[in-house]
Amino acid sequence: MNSTHQRIVQALLLILVAVTASPLRAHHILGRPAYSLNEDSNTPPSMQVETQIGDYFVTYMVYPAFPRPNEPGRINLYATHIDSGEPYSGDVTFTVRDDSWFSSGAETLGVQPPDDNVYRQGFVFREEGDYIITARFEAGGEPYIIDFPLRIGAPAPVGPVGIAVGVIALVLLSVSLIQRKRLQRSRIRSAREEAGR
Amino acid sequence: MTMTHPGLPASWGWLILAFMGLVSLWGLFRPSPATAATPALSLPRLPLLGRPLHRLTTSPWPLLTLKLAMVLLFLTIIAAGLFGTPIPERNIATVLTWNLWWAGLVFSVFFLGTAWCAICPWDTLAQWLVRRRLWRRAEPDNSLNLRVPRRLRTIWPALLMFIALTWLELGLGITVSPYATALIALLMVVLATVSLAIFERKAFCRYFCPVGRTVGCYSQLAPVELRPIDADVCARCKTLDCYHGNETVEPCPTWLVMGRLTQNSYCTSCGNCTRSCPHTNIAWRLRTPSEEALRGGRPHWDEAWFMIGLLALTGFHGITMMPFWEDWMSGLARLIGDSGRLLASFTLGLAACLALVAAVYTLLARLTHRLMGSELPFRRFFSAQAFVALPLAFAYHLAHNLNHLVRETTRLGDVFMNPLGIDAQPLSMMEKHMRHMEMLIPQDTLFAIQAALMMFGFWLAVQITRHRSRRLMPDGAPVAGWRLAPLFAFAVLMTGFHLWLLMQPMVMRM
Repeated sequence: MNSTHQRIVQALLLILVAVTASPLRAHHILGRPAYSLNEDSNTPPSMQVETQIGDYFVTYMVYPAFPRPNEPGRINLYATHIDSGEPYSGDVTFTVRDDSWFSSGAETLGVQPPDDNVYRQGFVFREEGDYIITARFEAGGEPYIIDFPLRIGAPAPVGPVGIAVGVIALVLLSVSLIQRKRLQRSRIRSAREEAGR
Repeated sequence: MTMTHPGLPASWGWLILAFMGLVSLWGLFRPSPATAATPALSLPRLPLLGRPLHRLTTSPWPLLTLKLAMVLLFLTIIAAGLFGTPIPERNIATVLTWNLWWAGLVFSVFFLGTAWCAICPWDTLAQWLVRRRLWRRAEPDNSLNLRVPRRLRTIWPALLMFIALTWLELGLGITVSPYATALIALLMVVLATVSLAIFERKAFCRYFCPVGRTVGCYSQLAPVELRPIDADVCARCKTLDCYHGNETVEPCPTWLVMGRLTQNSYCTSCGNCTRSCPHTNIAWRLRTPSEEALRGGRPHWDEAWFMIGLLALTGFHGITMMPFWEDWMSGLARLIGDSGRLLASFTLGLAACLALVAAVYTLLARLTHRLMGSELPFRRFFSAQAFVALPLAFAYHLAHNLNHLVRETTRLGDVFMNPLGIDAQPLSMMEKHMRHMEMLIPQDTLFAIQAALMMFGFWLAVQITRHRSRRLMPDGAPVAGWRLAPLFAFAVLMTGFHLWLLMQPMVMRM
C-alpha cells in the first residue's frame, strides 16, 4: 500500500471514529466524584472530580481511587482558565484537615510547582477517616481556595445502622412508656369513678 | 467518561408537532363537551379469570409474600450500600434503586395504579416494627394514635420532600453513591416508623411520602381502581368496615370510605377494604385511563400544587441529563461565584425551574379564567384545571424513564451475581461501549413508544381542559373552544419543551 492509499485509509478511519464516537463525550458531572479505569485498565482505578472556581476549571484526580491507611497515594491537579484555556502556571499549596466532628487544625501537605501543567502531590495517611484536601493558588491578584473530599479506608457502615436502630428503639420505647402511663391513668380514673358511685 | 444516548429523531418530532397543531385547532373550534361516565369492568365479573383473580386479591398471602420479597431486597440494598463497593455501577444498591426501581416505578403506575404502595418496604418494615404483626390487625396501644396537626394535613410536606429528594438525587448526586443510597433508605424507614408510632393510621403514606404522593397523583390516570362492585350495597352499609376495619383487618390506612371514593390519589392498594367488607363488595376494576382526570378527580389547593410541582420536577430531571446543563451550571456558578460541588448554582436552577412552570401555569390559568368569564373563585379554578399538568408530566416521565430502562438495565444480572461488588472494578471503556449498544427493545420501537406517549399526554391534557371547563361553569353550559386557548397554549408549551428535551442526546445515568 503506497502512502496516498495509507493516508486515505487513515482519513476514512478517522472519519469513522469521529462518527461512531459522536455520542460519547469526555464528560464528568461538574463537582461530582466519578470512578474510572484508565484506558489500558492495567493501572488501578482513580477517582476524579471536575469543577470550577472563579475563572478556572479545576480537575482533581486521586490515585488510587480508594486509598487505604499507610498506603501511598497521589493527587493530580490541573487548572485551566475558563476563557482562554491557558493552564495555570503558578504554585499550588495543598493542605489537609480532618473532616470529622470536633476536629480542628490543618496540615500542609506541600507546595507544588507545575510539572507539565500538572500539580502532583503525594500523601500517606496513617488513619482511616474523612479528610478535606484544600488546594490554594493565586491568579490575577485573587486568592483561589478549593476543597475536595478524600476518604481513607471504607466508610463506617455500623454508624448509620446504629443511629437508625437507636432512633427507632428510642421512639418505640417512649411510645410504649407513654401508652403504659395512659393505661394506668385510665385505670385509676375508672376505679375512682366506680368508687364514687 | 460518560456516554450520551441519542435523542428522538427529527421526523418523530415533526410528526408530534403536527399532531399537536391539529388537536389544538380542533379544540379551539369545538365547544367543551358534556362528560358522560364510561363503563368500568369489575375483575370478579371477568369470564373464567374473574373468580380466581378476585380470590387472589382478597387473600392476604400473595400480598404478604410480595412484601417479604420486597423487604428482603430492600435490606440487601441497605447492606450493599453500607458494606459494598462505592463504584455505583457495580453495587446492587445504586443499580437496583436508581436504574430499575426509580426508573421503573412510573411504569408500575401506568399498568397497576398504586400497587407499589401495597408492597412498599418502608411501610412494611414500619408496620412490622410498630404494630408487631405480619398482617393481622394489631393492638391500638402500639401507637400514640395522635391526630396529625391540622396544618400538616395536606400534601405540602410530600411536595417539599419530593423537591428535597430531587435535590439529593440530581444536585448532591446520591444516585452515584451506594452509601448515600443506603442512608436515604434507612432515613425513609425511620421516618415511616416514627410517623406510624406517633400518628394515627398511616399519616406518612397519606401526607408525607414523596413517592406515595407521586404514585397517587399519577394513578389517577391508571387503568385500574379499587371500587365497590355495587354502589347501592355501599350506600346501604351501616358498619363501614372499610373505614373502621374489623376484628382481624386493619382499617383503611388513609381514611377512605369506599362507597364515596372517586379518585385513586390516596388509595394505597393495601386491600384491607377487600378483606374487611362484610358484603365482599370491593374489587379491582378496569376502567378508561382518562376517566378520573376527566370526571371524578377534584384536586384541592395542595394537590393542585403537587401536580404543578410534579410537572416542573419531571422537566427538571430531563434538563439535568442534557449535555448542555453543565455549561449552564458553569456559567451560573461563575456569575454567582460558586465553586466545589456547585450546589448553590444547582439550587438556583431547581428553584428557577419550579418558579417558571408555576408562574406560566398561573398566568395562563388566570387568562383562561378571564376569557371564560367564570364566576368561580380563581383558587378553585386553579385547582380544578391543574389536572392539565398531570398527563403532561406523566407522559414525559414515562418517555424519559423508558430511555433509562431500555438502555441502562441490560446487564442487571451482573449485580445479582455480586451484589456488593466485591473486588469489582469500574466499568472499562469496552464495557461502557457494550452497555451503550445493548438495548432491551429496538431503538425504533423505543422512539415510536416515546412519540406515542407524548401525543397521548398532549391529547389527554387538551381533553381534560375541555371537559373540566364545562364542569366549572355554574349551569354546566358549554364553553367555546377559543376561550380555553391559554390552557391549550400551556399544554403546547410544556409538550413542546418536553419534546425538545427528548430530541436531545441524554447523559447515561452511570
